[in-house]
Amino acid sequence: MIPQLNLRRVYLIARRDFLGYIKTWGFWISFLMPFVLFTVAFFAARLDINVDPVRYEAILDETGQHEMAIRDYDQAQRPELPIELPQGQMPANKNIYVSPPADNIDALKNYLTGQNKFEVDGKAVKLSALLHIYEGPSGVKADYWADNINNQRLKNVSNRYFRKIAEGKYLGAAGLSSDGLSEARAAAIKVNVFDPGKSGEGGQAVTFIDRIPNLVSVAATMLLWLTIFSGAYMLLTSMLEEKLNKLLEMMLSTTRLSEIMIGKLIGVAALTITAMLPYIVLMLAGAVFFLASPVGAAVLQAITPKLIFFFILFLALGYLFYGALFIAMGSLAESMQDAQTLTTPIMLVLSACVMVIPLSLNSPDSPLLTFATWFPLSAPFAAIARLHLDPPWWELLLSASFLFLMSLLVIWIAGRIFRYGILSGAGVKGVSDWFKRAVLRRKA
Amino acid sequence: MSEFPLSLRNISKSFAGKVAVEDVSFDVQPGEIIGFLGPNGAGKTTTIRMALGLIKPDSGLVELFGAAPSPHSFGRLAFLPEERGLYKKQTARESIAHMARLNGMKAKEAFPLADRLLDKYGLGDAKRKKNKDMSKGMAQKVQLLSAIAHDPEFYVLDEPFSGLDPVNQQVLENMVREIADRGRTIIFSTHVMEHAERLCDRIILMSRGRKVFDGSTDEALAQAPRRLVISSEDGRLKETVTAFAENMEVREDGSISVVLKRDADNHAILEKCVNSKIKLKRFEPKAASLHEAFVALVGRDEAEKMQEGVV
Repeated sequence: MIPQLNLRRVYLIARRDFLGYIKTWGFWISFLMPFVLFTVAFFAARLDINVDPVRYEAILDETGQHEMAIRDYDQAQRPELPIELPQGQMPANKNIYVSPPADNIDALKNYLTGQNKFEVDGKAVKLSALLHIYEGPSGVKADYWADNINNQRLKNVSNRYFRKIAEGKYLGAAGLSSDGLSEARAAAIKVNVFDPGKSGEGGQAVTFIDRIPNLVSVAATMLLWLTIFSGAYMLLTSMLEEKLNKLLEMMLSTTRLSEIMIGKLIGVAALTITAMLPYIVLMLAGAVFFLASPVGAAVLQAITPKLIFFFILFLALGYLFYGALFIAMGSLAESMQDAQTLTTPIMLVLSACVMVIPLSLNSPDSPLLTFATWFPLSAPFAAIARLHLDPPWWELLLSASFLFLMSLLVIWIAGRIFRYGILSGAGVKGVSDWFKRAVLRRKA
Repeated sequence: MSEFPLSLRNISKSFAGKVAVEDVSFDVQPGEIIGFLGPNGAGKTTTIRMALGLIKPDSGLVELFGAAPSPHSFGRLAFLPEERGLYKKQTARESIAHMARLNGMKAKEAFPLADRLLDKYGLGDAKRKKNKDMSKGMAQKVQLLSAIAHDPEFYVLDEPFSGLDPVNQQVLENMVREIADRGRTIIFSTHVMEHAERLCDRIILMSRGRKVFDGSTDEALAQAPRRLVISSEDGRLKETVTAFAENMEVREDGSISVVLKRDADNHAILEKCVNSKIKLKRFEPKAASLHEAFVALVGRDEAEKMQEGVV
């Protein structure tokens, strides 16, 4: 069952597959992109770069009752927002209130379109938004005018302000006030969450920090899924490339089939790990950066040796299992369309495996989740998603052993399909034919 | 069996009930250049695949260097498959060096060797060119060089001439001669008989999955009917040669094209004409071609398939 391998040839196959991708521009762009985005975001935050332009907003209040009240209400919600632009300074906030540069709506529309401009700190600017409050036939009306209809900040602030006024009037009629309602809400009984299994300094009360291990398991499961999925897909395309390049037959005269398969598995595994490196580095950097905070400390505490051990184990087994399947599919396909058709059922199963994540959050004791731990296609993901429940070692090791045995079976079947797949055109027709010839060793 | 580069004993193979190869046996001895001939669909590629252990025969025995095909032969043989290809993003030198290294060569030997081979065969400027940017002919040369760079004992080339222009076919013929001069064993399949005629010591002819001929080129030519073109103003000529002819045809210029009987002899015909005092204007024995030999061996339809390269 265990094939004899020439490690040098395995290395050469793996190396070629690895370098085949590494030497492309596309790989390096994908590799460096997370660092570039992180750097840009970091410096943007440090330099307080505001990517949105400064917007100048005005309120034309013909009733004379609401303008300052709205501005005060807005500032109360955002205390850092200056009411007026400080002289000689660039604004730190994006939305600045200004006095209306004209006293009627028709004239102000020209400021909104940019036809007319007004001066702010010696610079000619246009008006971005205008709230027009006026007395209508059936009471006070408010119209919102803006050059960019997607920016509705002032409209939303005003709506909330007017709701609060209406609510205050309604409560006031009954001798009550909005502030009283807020105080009553603040004084309402809060339901505290406890975990009887928890012990430690904070007692048995559950806080957000207690959910961190759960979230770390989810993140690890997502990372595992992404790694296995991208690795298996790369194997498929790599296999297909060689199939279409008609190289395998020549290679088989000098290399064992098992060496090609294992070389490919190793090469693409190295590639997948390399592709994941930026994310791992950034995640670790983030955790170290936030180490001083309780959340950061809890994240690092949740990354236990047990999690790391089983993550690596299930990553290796899941990759072997799915990788062998995708290699086999790639060897059967004659085009990318063929490959997509052949892999659709596996892709659907692989996508369905993501369902173990919400299940592990909401119903960690679900029988379905336990079943998923033993079902080879979902075992890697379910096992990691359940890790925050601290299942016993024997259970995880047994699940891993079963997955290992199933992986060997899949590799064996994949090897047989692979051999027939790459030598296609030899008169085999249809999937049932492949199965009979490649797996059952029967004549079709 | 002894340790010949290749021995096949009664191998057969069917696919989906269709016989591809039936009861084929032959040995390839060290130093031979063998042309493996037959039209498309004759079973050449399937036989080669079985010989290399890429597919297993349904029955019969295959031995490569005295043992069943297995990794023991890696590095001792070169195989150029019928369907060609290269890694598109590799350069020419990387492709050659990669295959040489898979065949056991060290990197520090493989890359200089690749450079030397590319220089020698006119691809020196394309060393660092990616395979995807090469012309079809250049890419085919690179693949051939990749297959043979490690200079093994035994070369198996499946349709090496197909797809090459006449200039590159000549280059390949020269390459085959050089390899043969180093004492290597070569078997190559082709459906172009001229290549076999010029290069081979021995010819194996396949037709409809069976081996129909195995022998030297001269023996193959001996299978062809001998022809003679003869003419005279004497009206008795036709009657005189009838006894020697399998078939006769009077040509437009009045000469007679004679297909000789197997036991007929040109000297006997000439002697009879002289004795009969027939004054000959033309007496021209025609050299047999391999194509004619194959028509005799496999029939006109199969031979023409081979000539046209169609299935």
